[in-house]
Amino acid sequence: MLYSLIYGLLTTIPELPIIEQSIRNLFYHVSMWFTMVAMMAGSFGNAISYLSKENLNRDLRSVSLAELGMVFASLGLLTGMMWARFTWGAWWTNDPKLNGSAITVLIYLAYFVLRNAMDDERKRARISAVYNIFAFVMMIVFIGILPRMTDSLHPGNGGNPGFNSYDLDNRLRLVFYPAVLGWIFIGTWIASLRYRLRKLQA
Amino acid sequence: MQQVFPLFKRYFQQELRNSNALFSLGLYLMGITYLIYLLGGNNTTDSTWNTLLWVVTFFAAVTQSSRSFEFESSDYFYYYQSIAKPGPTIIAKLLFNAAYMLLLSLTTWLLFSFFYGNSVYNQSVFAAGLSLGSIGFSVVLTLTNGIASRTSGNATLSTILAIPLMLPVLKLTSTLNLQAMVGVEFGDVLPLLGSLAALDVAIGLLAYLLFPYLWQD
Repeated sequence: MLYSLIYGLLTTIPELPIIEQSIRNLFYHVSMWFTMVAMMAGSFGNAISYLSKENLNRDLRSVSLAELGMVFASLGLLTGMMWARFTWGAWWTNDPKLNGSAITVLIYLAYFVLRNAMDDERKRARISAVYNIFAFVMMIVFIGILPRMTDSLHPGNGGNPGFNSYDLDNRLRLVFYPAVLGWIFIGTWIASLRYRLRKLQA
Repeated sequence: MQQVFPLFKRYFQQELRNSNALFSLGLYLMGITYLIYLLGGNNTTDSTWNTLLWVVTFFAAVTQSSRSFEFESSDYFYYYQSIAKPGPTIIAKLLFNAAYMLLLSLTTWLLFSFFYGNSVYNQSVFAAGLSLGSIGFSVVLTLTNGIASRTSGNATLSTILAIPLMLPVLKLTSTLNLQAMVGVEFGDVLPLLGSLAALDVAIGLLAYLLFPYLWQD
């Protein structure tokens, strides 16, 4: 099916001829973060739609997508740390984008803690939807806006070139875009499985 | 919007009537400043001074804001819900907590200056950074205390929710403070001040938009 086709494309990545071997991490690291943003955006949209019309299924969808977003965020952090070790020489630096992503992970972990603190379904859904909206906007601020305004070592912020002709050529792009789509599909698929499981349990 | 000012006055009166919390906060500030002084505060570098100032302010902020929703979380909730709309309530709470936090942080700065000397070179930049940072603290903490007061969770829930959100505010403010200590012109730090102010406004706006959903049952 469509999922396995895209996933098959993912596994043919290492065959491409490239200059620096560590640029392969582009497909994994950046696509992880793109996928996380997509998952969190889905979670955010479902939170808003829960608040506008109280449909508990929306809340279940919201939390499943947020869970998957957390998984991709952790993978993004891990791949980023590996890449940093090879290119910068350290696992972690005091960099605005890195701090912003760590804070995002903490914010969403607090979201799950908040959900655990309430038993009543409707109240839990409403209050966690409120926090989800807040958390998503803050995430965009912390990983998108704040790093661009200050000095940063991370590509794409603080004056470094990002997605332009310095970093990508068309061969990489040919693999990168399907990789992003593939990871988003996998994430959405697993989230839909989690959602169905929760719907059965609730 | 006319409800904002009576609500603000009401919170002010509540704080004055139950004034033991205010005095205990003042005592806490004096006590902990003296404790830091005893632990070797004479030879502190600039960054240590700044760090300690913000740690003390952080704890004072958490303590103060945890009491900000205590009247709305218990049986009084239905009473307040019937007489006050959510919009004016959250505006009045944000303003009141921001004023309270400004008072606390300025007091902390005065106490620190009294004990360790005021090593700040550019006072106005420091004051601006301090004010915007403490307003940011209070806005974040008000929102998370509002969220936590509607759950039956424990007292640390609002701190857990608030800590990740306060970290960027703290980072921006401490950068401003350190630059003020070193001595920069006011015009140079305008981008930083602007971004801090924008962050405060954004969080406040979100709090205002989301609070009506918390104000229901």
